[in-house]
Amino acid sequence: MKSFNGPKVGGLLVALTLVFAACGSDDSSSSGSGSSTGISASELVQETDNALIEDAVDGYRAYIGEQIAAMQAETAIFADAIRAGDAEAAAAAYPISRRPWERIEPIAGLIEDIDGAVDAREDDFDGPMDPTFTGWHKLEYFLWEAGDLSEAGPFADQLEADLQTFADALPGLELPPGVLTVGAQELIEEVAAPDGKLSGEEDRYSGTDLYDFKANVEGAEALIELLSPALESADHDLLDAIEASFDELNNQLAQFGSFADGYVHYDEVTEDQRSELAATLGELAESLSMLNGTLGLE
Amino acid sequence: MEDNSEKPKGISRRKFLGAAGAAGAAAATAGFAWPLLKNESTYSASSNESLGYNFRGKHQAGVTAPRMPAGLVAGLDVRVDDKRELEQLFVRLSESIELLMSGARYEDRSGGFPPADTGLNDRADGYVPPWVVLSVGDSLFDSRFGLASLKPRELQPMPKFNNDYMVKPATSHGDLSVAIGGVTHESVIHGFRQLMRSVRGSVIPKWTRSGFNSIRPDIKPGIAPGRNLMGFKDGTANPDPQSDSSMNEIVWVQPNDLQPEWALGGTYLAVRVIRMMVEFWDRTRLNEQEELIGRSRDSGAPLGMKKETDEPRFTSFESHIARANPRTSGSEENLMLRNGFNYADGLDGNDQMDQGLVFLSYQRSLEKGFITVQRRLDGEALEEYIRPLGGGFFFVLPGPGQGSDPLGASLLA
Repeated sequence: MKSFNGPKVGGLLVALTLVFAACGSDDSSSSGSGSSTGISASELVQETDNALIEDAVDGYRAYIGEQIAAMQAETAIFADAIRAGDAEAAAAAYPISRRPWERIEPIAGLIEDIDGAVDAREDDFDGPMDPTFTGWHKLEYFLWEAGDLSEAGPFADQLEADLQTFADALPGLELPPGVLTVGAQELIEEVAAPDGKLSGEEDRYSGTDLYDFKANVEGAEALIELLSPALESADHDLLDAIEASFDELNNQLAQFGSFADGYVHYDEVTEDQRSELAATLGELAESLSMLNGTLGLE
Repeated sequence: MEDNSEKPKGISRRKFLGAAGAAGAAAATAGFAWPLLKNESTYSASSNESLGYNFRGKHQAGVTAPRMPAGLVAGLDVRVDDKRELEQLFVRLSESIELLMSGARYEDRSGGFPPADTGLNDRADGYVPPWVVLSVGDSLFDSRFGLASLKPRELQPMPKFNNDYMVKPATSHGDLSVAIGGVTHESVIHGFRQLMRSVRGSVIPKWTRSGFNSIRPDIKPGIAPGRNLMGFKDGTANPDPQSDSSMNEIVWVQPNDLQPEWALGGTYLAVRVIRMMVEFWDRTRLNEQEELIGRSRDSGAPLGMKKETDEPRFTSFESHIARANPRTSGSEENLMLRNGFNYADGLDGNDQMDQGLVFLSYQRSLEKGFITVQRRLDGEALEEYIRPLGGGFFFVLPGPGQGSDPLGASLLA
């Protein structure tokens, strides 16, 4: 475990992998495309005697279960469309199927190699047609860039199989409370990272970055909602500041669409609008960075 | 330095640096003696005594600080909804700047929090705090905050001058600007990061440039503190920032200048990011270089004279120094205080070096100072070798006084 050094796996993802008892391999072929934040493993091995935080952890476990179920159902629709060669249906299902994944993205790192298997980008491989490049972005490439689904079927099968592996591994999962506090921040740092959603790097072929963006925000909001009873008593002002930033961010995102009506292609978000989003993300991330310490976690 | 060297009550074991003290600290860190250090106790990196600048006073202390080994300037846009939020923003900026400049330690936090500081301010590493100068731009006086009637009389967007076709809006102006100077690059970076994190979300950084000066040890008025990246001495004729009478004459806005009253004690700042075509320059004949500038490259003496300190007597007004300061009757009112730095920012898209000068000048009148001088420079032969890229005009807020007011209190009162 000490020698785990999978390339390009985000800091938090690595950290969480280290605290997960089941991870044993140091397979260096694992790869993924998270943002790197350098959070160390030891910080996340925590105990708390705060019952409100324990409740939040239990609530998060249930939330993860709901998201996994939604992810498998929505990805089945996407994979079926790919296998049927129905590009239009597949393109519509693609960003929808990614939402649950993006909401619980910090958790993905708990399962060995899953991020590299389902959410890696072509930068980690010898070009987009490298057969070891798998997952959503491979299928995104087939759909938007290659415009040919004739060889895409096996990758749809693989995506579903990998997500099943993910789902199977979750019941025995350990969830230190830091997964919640640092995870909320990490979801927002993910959006703002230079290779994240704000730059349009994540969904570079489809331009559907705003779906991922919104799902990351929803995932962080869900965590804050679970933690709000604990935070309410620890630092009411911090909770207010966080909620105000979420409101502002959601208002900004609403000008580009919604899940129900669809979001605009990310190219349509101007430089000035990206600056505005970055400012709100920055303010929110500053507040979220105080969460862990404020709740008495190490 | 007027009241900038006074020690505020209630703070002991803290040594406030006037211009001389900062120079001393810079000298000590750089490892050589500095004449201005004479009246200051020697700075020691291992001392527990906190070194710092006095944020409180009639003027912002950084304006008249000596040329620093490291500098940064940034244009910022504010992102607040009304005047009340703008006031809160100035309070946060001022608290952050005062803490930075004081050199005081940041609060200790438990390891479950991010640290309150960057870690670049460890005194054991020779840290000396930076100074920060906060200014306001023309756009702050638009309709958003109801400040239009309070705009300093000469504040305006920087016009396009003769050679300004590469100046872009994205690298120009801003509702605010901050200029930071320090003894080390780390101290300047610490300053900028602390400042930005204190107002994250309320301010959008628009553009920034950072750079350096190599300061020669025998700095004094009449001697350039260093060279620009054309290899020529720069700053020979700069006025003495330690002379209160010169600064009142050249820099600080005075009661009879017809400014809004709140602006007294402030000054106009002109920022110009001036790229130098250094590959081309290095291929240019020495005679040509010296004629373009008007000085001997090596000695800094005006052409035809012997020493750098010799007062030039111009027979033609073609060279850069003759156009910038012709020393004719009346041209003394065009003097300004320059305190910029060199920059080197990698390569441009054509594999050519992006290097040059971040020019900062402070003046009591923009029209008489920078604008008049630049109009005289417009069309100079040196333009072939330089391309302004951005910058802007700003008004440096008056000092926050001795009480507890933030910067900008007189503007927002």
